[in-house]
Amino acid sequence: MVEELKTVGHSTPRIDGLQRVTGRATYSADVQLPDMLYARVLRSPHPHARILGIDVARALAAPGVKAILTHENCRLVWSSGDRVNKRYLFNNPVRFVGDAVAAVAATNRHLAEEALKLIQVEYQPLDFVLDAEEALQPGAVEIHPGGNLSPIISFRTTGPGERAPSTYVRGDLEKGFAASDFVFEDRYVSKHVNNAQMEPRVALAHWEGDKLTVWTPTQGISNCHRDIARDMNLALEKVRVVCQYMGGGFGNKNQCQDSDLMAAQLAKETGRPVKLELSRKEDFVCVHGRWATSQNYKVGVLKDGTLQAIQMRGYSAMGPYRKGSGGISGVEYFRCPNVKTEVYAAYTNTAVSANFRGPPYPQGVFGIASILDDISHELKIDPVDFYLKNVTRKYRDSIPYTSSGLLECIRQGAEWFEWKKRRHPAGSQQGPIKTGIGLAAGGFGASVGRSSAVLRLDSDGRLWLHVGVTDIGTGAKTTMALIAAEAMGIDLDKVQVISGDTDRTPYSVGESGSRTTSHTGYAIVEAAKDLKQQLAASGPPQGDEVLIAEATPSPSLEGMVRYSFAVHFVEVEVDTELGGVRVLKYVAVHDSGRIINPLTAASQVQGGVIQGLGMALHEELLYDENTGIPLNPGYYGARVMTHVDVPNVEVHFVETEDAYGPFGAKAVGEPPIVPVVGALSNAVFNAIGIRIKELPITRDKIIGALS
Amino acid sequence: MKPISRRSFLERSGTGMAAAAAIPALEVPTFQSQPQPAEERGREVHLKVNGKDHRVKVEDHWTLVEVLRDHLGLTGTRVGCDRGECGACTVLLDGKSLYACSYLAVWADGKEISTVEGLAEGDQLDPLQEAFIEHDGPQCGFCTSGQLMSAKALLNQNPNPTEEEARQALAGNICRCSNFNRYLEAVLATSGKGSSRG
Repeated sequence: MVEELKTVGHSTPRIDGLQRVTGRATYSADVQLPDMLYARVLRSPHPHARILGIDVARALAAPGVKAILTHENCRLVWSSGDRVNKRYLFNNPVRFVGDAVAAVAATNRHLAEEALKLIQVEYQPLDFVLDAEEALQPGAVEIHPGGNLSPIISFRTTGPGERAPSTYVRGDLEKGFAASDFVFEDRYVSKHVNNAQMEPRVALAHWEGDKLTVWTPTQGISNCHRDIARDMNLALEKVRVVCQYMGGGFGNKNQCQDSDLMAAQLAKETGRPVKLELSRKEDFVCVHGRWATSQNYKVGVLKDGTLQAIQMRGYSAMGPYRKGSGGISGVEYFRCPNVKTEVYAAYTNTAVSANFRGPPYPQGVFGIASILDDISHELKIDPVDFYLKNVTRKYRDSIPYTSSGLLECIRQGAEWFEWKKRRHPAGSQQGPIKTGIGLAAGGFGASVGRSSAVLRLDSDGRLWLHVGVTDIGTGAKTTMALIAAEAMGIDLDKVQVISGDTDRTPYSVGESGSRTTSHTGYAIVEAAKDLKQQLAASGPPQGDEVLIAEATPSPSLEGMVRYSFAVHFVEVEVDTELGGVRVLKYVAVHDSGRIINPLTAASQVQGGVIQGLGMALHEELLYDENTGIPLNPGYYGARVMTHVDVPNVEVHFVETEDAYGPFGAKAVGEPPIVPVVGALSNAVFNAIGIRIKELPITRDKIIGALS
Repeated sequence: MKPISRRSFLERSGTGMAAAAAIPALEVPTFQSQPQPAEERGREVHLKVNGKDHRVKVEDHWTLVEVLRDHLGLTGTRVGCDRGECGACTVLLDGKSLYACSYLAVWADGKEISTVEGLAEGDQLDPLQEAFIEHDGPQCGFCTSGQLMSAKALLNQNPNPTEEEARQALAGNICRCSNFNRYLEAVLATSGKGSSRG
C-alpha cells in the first residue's frame, strides 16, 4: 500500500463540475463569432471512384454561398490523416464512402447543406475491397500503388516504410510446439466499432490578420497546433488552438482533423470566421473507429497448463488511409518462452481505422483470452490458477516492470468476486437461462516522458497552473490541480488551472496514451520543486510580485517497462431461447499505481468497462458488400450501451508503489477497456459451453451456435 | 469524500479568466460569444424559455435546439446527433422531456421551455445538479444537460422513482463515457429531496 498524502488520493469532485452541470461549459460548437459562416462537406457515395469532373457553378451561385473547396482548387495535405501516404484534404480518386469531395461555406448551415446538392460530380466507379484478408489476395484492386499491404509503422512514423507484417519473435516456435503436450488452434474475428464520443467534430477558424485561431475539440492542443501550422504552412506563433471543454474522443480527436484545415482555408478565402460542423453520420464514417481484425492462434501447452509456444497471425483493416498502428496485442500479458506474432495491416475501402481507447488491446485480448480459456477448460484447470501460473512477470519475459500488482489483482479480485463460489463447469447448467463466469487480464503502458508545466504564485497565495491539457472527460484538470496542491503543500482551492489554449499554456503530450498524469503531472511536480526553492530563497511574493517556475522534464525508465494492469471478473446470464446476454456482476480490479483522485478514476474504470461491453455485445459498423456503403452509422444502428443495458461495475484499486510518475501514479484511462471483451467472451462460454468466435456476441450468434 | 463547497466552485469559475489576464506576459484576449441574429424572412414565434419571454423570427424548418443555441444563445443544450438518437439536446416542453433536435421551433410557439440554464436559481443549484457533481456524473459533460433534464422530468412526475423507473426514464440519454452508474446514483440520491422546483 502507498503512504497517505494530504490532497492526492482523496476523492474530490471535479473543479469544473459546476460548469458542466449548469451548461456554462463552453465546447467548441458553442463559440459564435460575428459574421460567422457555416460550412458543410460533400462526401463520396462510392467506396472507390475516380472523379472525372466537378461542376460547382450552380452551387457557387446559390443564395448565401461564399466559397467552395474541391481537389481542383485546394491542394492542401492533411498530414495527420495518413502517416504513410500523401492524403490531401480532397482526394482523387476517392477511396471510401465518406471521403471528402468538396466543402462549402455559406451564411447559414441550411444554405451550406442546400448548396452541396447543387455540386455536380462525375464519378468513374472502381473496384473496391472491404475485408483485410481479401485485400491482400493476388488480384485485389490496389487502393494505393504497390498493393494493399500497408508498411510497418512505429509511433513516430511519417512517410513510406517497409511493406511487411509487423512481427515480433522470441525463442523458437517449432521447438516450443514440439515440446508441448497439446497444441490448440483457433480463429477469432473482431469488427470495426466507433469511438462515438458525444461531441461531434466541429472546427471554428478565425483569422485576425495573418494569425489563425482554431476552436476545435482536440485531445492534444500541442499536436493539433503543430499539425495545423505545418499543413497551412504557417509559423507556430501564427496559429492558436483553443479547446476549453471537449465532449469525449477516446482516441479519435488525437490528431488535427481535416475539418480544422478546411475551416481555416475557407475562412482565409472568405475573410470571415467559418464554423465547420460534422454530422453524427459523418463522425461515424469519416473520422475513424477501431480496426476490424481476424486473428489466427496456435498455442502449445504442457499438461499442467504451462505455456510453451504462442503463434498469432492477424489481419487488420485500416481503411484506405493509414492513421493507426493496426496492432493486435494481448499475447504480451503471458509468459511463454517461444512466441511469434505477425500482424498484416491492410488498406481497405472502408472507414478509416485508428485509435480508440487502448487501441490494439480489447480485440487482441478477446482472441488470446478466448483460446487460453478454452485450453484451461480442456485441461480442467481453474482459469484463476491458469492465470496465476502464466501471466507476465517481466515484460516479454525479459524486461522488469517498475511495479506490478498483476498477481495481487488476480488473487484479490477472485476473492472479491467470490470466484470459487460462483464457478461451475462450462455448459453444465440445466434450463433455458444459464449463468457463467469469466475473467481476463490485461495492461497498458504507463509511459513517462516529456511534458511541461508553468506555475505562477501571486501575493494572494493563488497558484496559477498553466498546462496544455484539454480535459477529454478524464478529469485531467482536477488531477493536475490536485498534483499541484499536493506538491506545493497548499489547499486545492488556491489552484487555478489554465489549460486548453496554445497561447496560454506550454507543451503537453496530450490526452492520449493515458499519459497526461504521468507526463504532465510529473512536470508539475518538477516545477513545484523549483518554485519551493524560490520561495525558500526569496520568501513569498509581495504586491505585484509573482514567482514563476517552469519545468519540462524528460524522464526515462532505464531498462524497465512501466505498466498499469487490470483484471476483470464477470458473471453473465444467457437466455438460450432468445439469445440475450445480461451482465449480473462485474468486478474490475486495477493496478494504476497511486490513484490521484479515486472518485474520477473509478468513473474512468466504470465507463471503460461499459464501453467494452458495448463492443463485446452490440457494436459493429456493418457494410453492404455489394455497394461498400456503411449501413448503420449512428447511435441507434451501433446500439451503444444505454441506461437500461448496463450493470453496476464494482471497482477496486490495488495501489502498488511505483518510483516514477507524480507520487507513483500510473495510467488510468485506457486499461479499463482492455480485458472486457475477453472476460465477457469467457463468461458466455462458461454459461453455454460453446465459444462465440466472432464479435459482437449478438443474439443471432448465440442462438445459431446453440441450434 | 472531501467536500468542496458550491461557493468555491463559483469563485473559481468567476475569477479564472480575469486574474490570468492581469499578468501582462501571458495576457490574451478572450473571445466574445455572440448569438446569431434571426433571419429576416420567416415567422415570429413566442417562446417562454426558463420563465423569460422571447419573440423570435424563425424559418419553418428550424429545429427548437438551433433556435435555443444559435439565436437565443442558450448553448447549454448540446447537439450530439441531430436525429433523435442520443438525448444530448433534451429540454422540457411544458414540463415533459423532449428531444429539441427533433422538434420544430414553430411547434413550440406559445409553449414553456426549460433548459439546463434554468435549473439553478442564481447561485442555488438544483439538488440534481449538486448530486451530479458529488457523484461525478459528468465525465466529458457533453450529455450532462440532457441527462439532467430527463432526470428533472422524471422527478417532476415521480419524486421517488425506483431504480428501474429511473433507468427507463433516462434510457433515451446516451453517455458514451458510459458513466451510467454515476448518473443513476445521482438521480436516486436526489429522489425524495424535493428537487421538483419549476
